[in-house]
Amino acid sequence: MVDSIDHIVKLLPRFADIEELLQNEVEAKYILKRAADYFGNPHSNGEEEISYLICALVDKNWEHIHSGHFSSVPVTIRKIYALGCYFKIFFLLLEDRSLEQRELCSAILDEAQLLGCTDKLYEKCNELKQALMKYLDKDAIKMTMNPLPILAPVERRITDCDIPTLDAPSIMEFRIKCYQELQPTLLLNTINHWPAMTKWRDLNYLLKVAGNRTVPIEIGSNYASDEWSQQLVKLRDFLYRQFSQTKGDQEIEYLAQHELFAQIPALQADICVPDYCTVSATNEADVDIKAWLGPRHTISPMHNDPKHNLLCQVFGCKRIILASSADTEYLYPHESEFLNNTSQIDAAKPDFDRFPLLKSVRFYKLLLQPGDCLYLPPKWWHDVRSETDSFSVSFWWE
Amino acid sequence: MRRLLFTGFNAFGQHNASNTERTSGRVNALTEITAPGDSKGNAIVALSWRYTAFAMGNKLWLQGLLDSSPDESLEVHAAAEIKALAACDAHCLVLLQNGQLYKLQAKLSATLLPIKLETAAAKRDIFGQAKAAEAISVAHIACGSHINVAISARNAVYSIPSCLHRFPQGAWRVQQLECGHEHALLLNGNGDVYSWGNGLRGQLGHETLGVEERPLLLEPLAGIKIIHIAAGGWHSAAISAFGDLYVWGWNCNGQLGMRVMKPDGLLKEPTVYPLPQLQDLPPCCAAAEETDLCAPLKAYAGSRHTLIQRSCGRLWASGWCAHGQLGKQPPNLSYLDSFYAVQQVPKDCDYTVVCGPWSTLITLSE
Repeated sequence: MVDSIDHIVKLLPRFADIEELLQNEVEAKYILKRAADYFGNPHSNGEEEISYLICALVDKNWEHIHSGHFSSVPVTIRKIYALGCYFKIFFLLLEDRSLEQRELCSAILDEAQLLGCTDKLYEKCNELKQALMKYLDKDAIKMTMNPLPILAPVERRITDCDIPTLDAPSIMEFRIKCYQELQPTLLLNTINHWPAMTKWRDLNYLLKVAGNRTVPIEIGSNYASDEWSQQLVKLRDFLYRQFSQTKGDQEIEYLAQHELFAQIPALQADICVPDYCTVSATNEADVDIKAWLGPRHTISPMHNDPKHNLLCQVFGCKRIILASSADTEYLYPHESEFLNNTSQIDAAKPDFDRFPLLKSVRFYKLLLQPGDCLYLPPKWWHDVRSETDSFSVSFWWE
Repeated sequence: MRRLLFTGFNAFGQHNASNTERTSGRVNALTEITAPGDSKGNAIVALSWRYTAFAMGNKLWLQGLLDSSPDESLEVHAAAEIKALAACDAHCLVLLQNGQLYKLQAKLSATLLPIKLETAAAKRDIFGQAKAAEAISVAHIACGSHINVAISARNAVYSIPSCLHRFPQGAWRVQQLECGHEHALLLNGNGDVYSWGNGLRGQLGHETLGVEERPLLLEPLAGIKIIHIAAGGWHSAAISAFGDLYVWGWNCNGQLGMRVMKPDGLLKEPTVYPLPQLQDLPPCCAAAEETDLCAPLKAYAGSRHTLIQRSCGRLWASGWCAHGQLGKQPPNLSYLDSFYAVQQVPKDCDYTVVCGPWSTLITLSE
């Protein structure tokens, strides 16, 4: 154990490796230089002071990352945050290498990836990240307690579907009937070959490959409600709280709209980007892949997204209500910047007294079952509710 | 004679404790410090994260991390007496008694640079000659990491250097101007509060989360006479003439005095409060029938902490305390999510409070 961490320390950057990045960053230059020099020199001192400075740098850049829109945060700030997190982890491990401490460190490592930018920091940065993750995860999975359920496969239900259905269409057929026509369509039998279809129902598998990762979850059934909040948690804790047989009267948590597969390559290997996305996306990197995992009764209220969307159902069922982008003016979007793509209406129980224009809207209903893909053109409104425990994967492309 | 008591983040030698050479890292309890120059005078102090600015007469000092290492200091002299300072990491705004506004970059080679505010389109006289642009006399300044505000003596509001809005002249009077990281709060003599800037974390107090380009009256507090306001990093506080405390914005570290975690200890409560919430402070020193004696009087806020001065003189605090910003707290506690009395504030002594992003500075007058 001691050997392996001593080996990983050597992968930390020297100041010269990151100097260029820090050119105009007064405090990051001073603090990261002291930290890099500390770990680069076997006879260093000043551990307590430098360790505190590193924590302060992480906290300071966290504040910067949380100011304004995330998209406008300079990438240098997110890189400094990630570098600070790496050094913080090593100072914590110098203090103590207990399992609890390593758990704490693995959460910091995940936050470095989720909030920070860990790409192209210096030559060995990927090597460091992988080695550190492996070291921190080593015993974390063993300590888990009870097995999670293996969800039973469900019989396919024959239900009404208000939009056209196509059985495994060719790309050409998809292009002509769906993509060019901007026609929402339910596509059957297009993802049956995914390993995910058989593997993910066993929640112990998800626990094993991803349990120690930190993921953002939404708390409360509906993101447009006042009671809603977001939090970073260990996937393991989320799985136990929401899916174990002993689960009590829990509040609903939803792992929604998260780029889980970029974070956990082992899960990425269980799915593939549907060929339909290639009708316009030139390569797979232009497709945003997002995970949607939650218990029953999660609600994504009526909203629209700017891109083409293939929503693929791996396990469980979702009730979906659609409305055309042409009906936007009758759908009462919220005024706030956060929610202006979200309607104020409850599509399951439309209140025509409060929202009289709704009478002009045509709603389309369907049930999304395991193995189904829903194609949604840009800006089409959709209200999505899980009827059972559910895992969906969405592919967005322009 | 005035004394300065400091607690909080001090990793760059911003503050020198009077009894030791340098207090590095964090100061975990209120500690007496000295200002540069004549410490008996009435220094104006503004705290940024990496340096602190002190002004006395026409002299100005920046102390902290300016170019490359801690304990750096810069002394500059202004053309006239300094009236007010506002500090953020990039620069310090310096307002002189004569209404002129300067900017001083936070680096060792910096000099005072005049700030040219945008004037209204040049007026022409009846002969078509452009009138000479009038110099703008500035009366109030405030800044944060993403915002710089000045208000002229004629009530024009500037997002430096452009004019955002002109309030009426005459009876309309600015009482207080405060900035968070990215929002501004203004209190007028009438007791009305206006807010603008980035409100994505509820800090503006308007019902919908979003950006307001111009000062907008805070509707939810309209009709309530406000006497003091504070702007934290992403949160705000206001105290009414009735002694009610209102808080709104982001509660990520308990800075609103609202609970952070649900009772199960695993999940968080919602952290954004877009509308002003009436916050009842715990009982203080007065008997139950005389609670007015302990009514909130003034509010102060740092990046993620809030301090409330009560009529009895006691100081109460809530929020982030990981860097010592709330004074003495149990070790391993990183935040307080309800208001507690700050120990060590001398009783029977007038004082004012200035918050740095992660620190608190109390000026005692004895």
